[in-house]
Amino acid sequence: MQRLDLTGLACPMPIIKLKKFLSQNPALQDPFIVEVSDSGALKDIPAFCQQQKLNCELRQSQPNIEFQVQRGADV
Amino acid sequence: MSDLSPVHASPQFSLIQSKGTLDWAYASFILASTASVMDKEVELFFTFYGLKCLLKDTSGLKVSPLGRPEMIVKSPVGPEWFRKVDWNQKLPGLVWSLPGMSNLATLGFKQQMKQQGQMSVEALRETCLELGVKMTACQMTVDMMGLQKDDFIDGVEFAGAPSYFAQTPDTQSLFI
Repeated sequence: MQRLDLTGLACPMPIIKLKKFLSQNPALQDPFIVEVSDSGALKDIPAFCQQQKLNCELRQSQPNIEFQVQRGADV
Repeated sequence: MSDLSPVHASPQFSLIQSKGTLDWAYASFILASTASVMDKEVELFFTFYGLKCLLKDTSGLKVSPLGRPEMIVKSPVGPEWFRKVDWNQKLPGLVWSLPGMSNLATLGFKQQMKQQGQMSVEALRETCLELGVKMTACQMTVDMMGLQKDDFIDGVEFAGAPSYFAQTPDTQSLFI
């Protein structure tokens, strides 16, 4: 699975990079992993995904936070 | 009849920036870039000292605890106990008026932001423009402060408050 490493970045960079990644990969339908270290992202990434109609699932929260994100799923 | 349709987020976000210090510049650019990636149309209006946030030369963007008792001032370097101290609480206010103190506080603030994983204010400002955030400098205050268009970064528009109100939403705006 493709992995997007956004660790070490503070708000709002994780969602800016996630958005850029999505616009650079317009055809991507497969799920991918988003890894972040900013603790605020624990709530912010799901909020962003909900707003952007992306499916988002928390995979782990220690040591880094990992989400599985996918386009076009029902939210 | 009550309307049960879901409440949609405002597609627009606007902010009036009146402060020209480094910390408040960060606050605005962080909010603006976030709103922009969440598909809001973002309009920033810079007036009075907020104009400093748009200058090519950002050396004037500083932080100083002088006259700002709310500020938390912590050292980004040193042992753990030392970094926990809020020096704005510990030291008498007089200390911040000593020569070099605002430079020291600014350096410390930048260092702290870097350690947080935050980018420079210049890079964050550039990101905002790349994301399509619209920035307008208040022409009246530009003239009043003797600034020239050349002093400003590219991508900034010059207009007055009427233009700002004509283009901004009636739902949400902030004054910083």
